[in-house]
Amino acid sequence: MNSFLKRLFVALIAAGLILPFLIVAGVSINANSNISFPPTELSLQWYTVLFTDKDWLMPIRNSLAIAVVAALVSVSIALAANYVLWRLKSGFGRLVFALGIGPFMLPPIIIAMGASVFWAEIGMYGRIEATIISHGVFFVTLPLVIISRGFATLSDDVVEASRTMGATPWQTFRKVIFPLVLPYIVTGYALVAIISVNEYLISYMVSGFAVETLPIRIFNNVRYGYTPVVASAAMAFALLTVAVLLVLSMITDLLKLLGAPRN
Amino acid sequence: MKRLSPAHLIGLFPLGMMSLFFLGPLAFMIVVSFYKRDPLGFYDVAFVWDNYAKFFSSFYYTISMRSVWSSALGAVIVVLLAFPAIYIITDMKRRWQLFWIILLLSLMCLSEVILGFAWLILLSESSGIPKFMGWIGLWQDPHSLSPSFGAMIIGFVTLGFSLVALMFYPQLAQRDRSIEEAALTLGTSPPRVLTRVVLPNYRGAIIGAVVTMFVYFLGVFVMPTMLGRPQDWNMTVIITDKAVGDANMPLGSALSVIMLLFTLLIIGLLMLASRKEHRS
Repeated sequence: MNSFLKRLFVALIAAGLILPFLIVAGVSINANSNISFPPTELSLQWYTVLFTDKDWLMPIRNSLAIAVVAALVSVSIALAANYVLWRLKSGFGRLVFALGIGPFMLPPIIIAMGASVFWAEIGMYGRIEATIISHGVFFVTLPLVIISRGFATLSDDVVEASRTMGATPWQTFRKVIFPLVLPYIVTGYALVAIISVNEYLISYMVSGFAVETLPIRIFNNVRYGYTPVVASAAMAFALLTVAVLLVLSMITDLLKLLGAPRN
Repeated sequence: MKRLSPAHLIGLFPLGMMSLFFLGPLAFMIVVSFYKRDPLGFYDVAFVWDNYAKFFSSFYYTISMRSVWSSALGAVIVVLLAFPAIYIITDMKRRWQLFWIILLLSLMCLSEVILGFAWLILLSESSGIPKFMGWIGLWQDPHSLSPSFGAMIIGFVTLGFSLVALMFYPQLAQRDRSIEEAALTLGTSPPRVLTRVVLPNYRGAIIGAVVTMFVYFLGVFVMPTMLGRPQDWNMTVIITDKAVGDANMPLGSALSVIMLLFTLLIIGLLMLASRKEHRS
């Protein structure tokens, strides 16, 4: 392929990936209550509805609350599993790590179905805690893999030095290991939080209509007669996602975190 | 007895959480798949094979074949697009790579619901591609392009693209470019370099990505329901419908267990094949 064709190919793909958002953005600022594009008259009224109407505020609050705590659960499992693997390098460490990879290998519906019967049986179906724990456990693969890259960059010399200078394992962890893997932890946390905010199937199967999250609200709205508020909700969360990622790219070397060599 | 080290104790936390909330629900689902449905409640404790027997009817057979076909097609298309794209992107300047990574991460994080909704508008008669085609005179009588099988596959591809691209990214970014350059300077044509040098190098990764996407698409719910017609619906939609719609948890569980076994079989075969390749 010559360089023109290469550029054309990636440009077309970029267009295909960005186009849907442009359309949603256009619909969200359309004054007309019929969903149509291009907008004929511009208005921010649908955003006002989104942030003032109780029917939309509640799902937003639920989604954010679930995401903040679920990401914490996920990252603490991932950090502990990585620490154990790094420290022990034994079958036990590998077992813990493999368990964390598990959820990513299965189709989402299996996980959602399992969670659904499980929470129903222990009497927590429809409780927000059920969604939080399920999200925390099922999205663990992402921080697990990202934090493992952080542990891979730890040089044995540094840890050895801290030990010979008399640091306890806890001091070594707190003063040496934790600061070095912190960017990876932050990235893992942010990604789980964003994915949790946007997840539909598990939330729906675990809490049904009891804990309405934003994706559930949007989905129901699209299926059963929709208003342009859906577009503004979709857009608000798309912008939030991009904003978090931009901040992340400013405070960390995203390319390196995702496995690119340093220049 | 050997004393447990602090690291072992710390390991008990992830081990416990994953066992209790990941393996536990799966085990529970297997148990419930043998229960009897209680029309008035959820289910009665029993040990019956009825739920599995239902799977062997033409209805479920057709849906299974359909799920396998749409997932496989989506997986192949998404990898065919993502591999060359990332191959080209990793040769770009870091600034452009960062643009792509943020775009891909944004897409990966975005809800299936939002992506599905975006395509719904884009394919609709009143506002998207059909209207545009009519406007520039390429389509005399434009009408909505969804719901349709094609729309659903487009949804799958948008959903999986970022995941596959991010899976290929580290490997392709770190690749040793000297071999390709050597082949090119020796006069090998670029298409030949691609088929003889590049692709064989990444065969394992490519097959792995196709299988991962195939398994992922098997379990997707929103795209088929939003963009597909009822005759395009996959097993996931049926499972959700039985479990939540009909409150038939045992049947939903049994269908999920069958999907679980199928997935494990595929992953097992993949691991076996990659081990053989390593040995040879």
